Amino acid sequence: MTRLSPGRASWKAIVAIPLLFAAAAFLQVRIDAQTRSDGAQQEQLLVSSGALLKKLSLGYDPLLADIYWTRAVQYYGTRVGEGHGDFALLDPLLNISTTLDPHLIIAYRFGAIFLSEPKPIGDGRTDLAIQLVKRGVAANPNEWRLDYDLGLLYYWRLKDYQPAAAAFLAGSNVPGAPFMTLKLMAASVAEKGGSIETSRMIFAELYQSTKDPEVQKMALKELRALKAQEDEMHLDQIVREYEKRFRRKPASIQELISARLLRGSPVDPAGFPYEIGPDGKSRLDPRSPIKPPDQ
Amino acid sequence: MSAMPGVVAVNTFREAVRDRVLYNLVFFALLMMGAAILVGQVSIGINRLVIVNLGLSAISVIGLVMAVFIGVGLIHKEIEKRTLYSLLARPVRRWEFLVGKYGGLLLTLVVNTSFMTVGLAAALYYVGRPFVRSDVTVLVAIYFILLELALVTAIALFFSCFSSPMLSTLFTLAIFVTGLFASDIRDFGALTNDRAMEAFTRALYYLVPNFHNFNAIAAAGHGDRIPLALVGENTLYAAVYATVVLVAGSVVFARRNLK
Repeated sequence: MTRLSPGRASWKAIVAIPLLFAAAAFLQVRIDAQTRSDGAQQEQLLVSSGALLKKLSLGYDPLLADIYWTRAVQYYGTRVGEGHGDFALLDPLLNISTTLDPHLIIAYRFGAIFLSEPKPIGDGRTDLAIQLVKRGVAANPNEWRLDYDLGLLYYWRLKDYQPAAAAFLAGSNVPGAPFMTLKLMAASVAEKGGSIETSRMIFAELYQSTKDPEVQKMALKELRALKAQEDEMHLDQIVREYEKRFRRKPASIQELISARLLRGSPVDPAGFPYEIGPDGKSRLDPRSPIKPPDQ
Repeated sequence: MSAMPGVVAVNTFREAVRDRVLYNLVFFALLMMGAAILVGQVSIGINRLVIVNLGLSAISVIGLVMAVFIGVGLIHKEIEKRTLYSLLARPVRRWEFLVGKYGGLLLTLVVNTSFMTVGLAAALYYVGRPFVRSDVTVLVAIYFILLELALVTAIALFFSCFSSPMLSTLFTLAIFVTGLFASDIRDFGALTNDRAMEAFTRALYYLVPNFHNFNAIAAAGHGDRIPLALVGENTLYAAVYATVVLVAGSVVFARRNLK
């Protein structure tokens, strides 16, 4: 057998190595084609406990959290692309990410969106999204954005105005939060939910705590509108009593006074008398500067 | 004080450089570049976080691998090559040799970590975020990693004073993992409701080196403040523990029969 000179041998190696690598890659393609049916099995969580993974990570849990969050994003993106609305692993992936790094704010915020969006764009699980964000609030009490997200989830997805207002209000108390905006949101959401008392409390606190004359003016306007709304509700109750007694609706406030259901003509906070409309319900004087809360 | 440990330390560092130990920096650089380019494309909102977490984890892992695998071979290699005999024939005491070896490996680790810190800073700059005051936490986290490596190196060197490299590696890794779970061991004892077991696990908790003390990667990632008192206490803890281990190692090494 003839011996190759070192120069020739290295040239042969330079040619042979890429060729052998190409052959290995070709074989891998063949192997992949044969085992493609196993692909579906790959999408699973071998360890579903974030706490266990945290222990097993030997102190590298922040990096593992990033990996799991990236996996959650990739999982969501792939599933949205497929369009069948099955996101079975999304919640566990988010739970693991946030257990490994409880301060991974982005995972709570975007995770809640992924979970709460209606199918097929999201998992349609607002309940899970709320649980996730609540855990985020507990682990990050100084992150007002999570309170804000929680409020939005209750407000937009569940139309549950009382907890939404409570979440906005909690966020407004976090140092560094845009407290005025959050307080306004809390007040208006509470108002929408019919809780005049909560709404009035928030606006009154806002009126007293702010030094901005514009905000004070706006808070005062809202407080007056709320007072008018409360008066109207009270008047409507009297109208119903009148209707029970006389089997017809009253045409004016004067009829209520004549029936001794009212002692005098009530006025709104701007000093304009209330009226009874054609539908038999109380209403503001058209000249009154007070506008109902929705306007 | 004798200058011998310093001479041995410098030579150990030179030997490490000659052995191309610092080649790992190429791997680190590639890892940082890859992460900086790729992470923005596969995830949402964690560019900087991944760079910090990955960078610090890599600094820690690479440092640990170096500390353990080089540390356990430092004494053994000198015995195997028979260079230790000619060295000890000179006016070098065994403990000086041991401390010198420790200092040399520590110097190697400090130089290596410094280069990796520069790489990490470059990657952070690449992902387009100006440096802010809270980034000091990243430097503190790197300092904590160095303290951890100082302790691991001392332990590896201790075992290498009387055991083979293979067994020394196993022992060092076992101590490292036990140290990471120190608080779990203590909590386990409390769960048993057995006073003796509780006292035993509590004693074990204080006996094993608590490596969890040096983990500030999460704090660095989120820019959380690390109290200055903790920095001082961790420094003292590492210094005291490493001294204890090195003194024990010196005693063992002094009594070892090298014939």
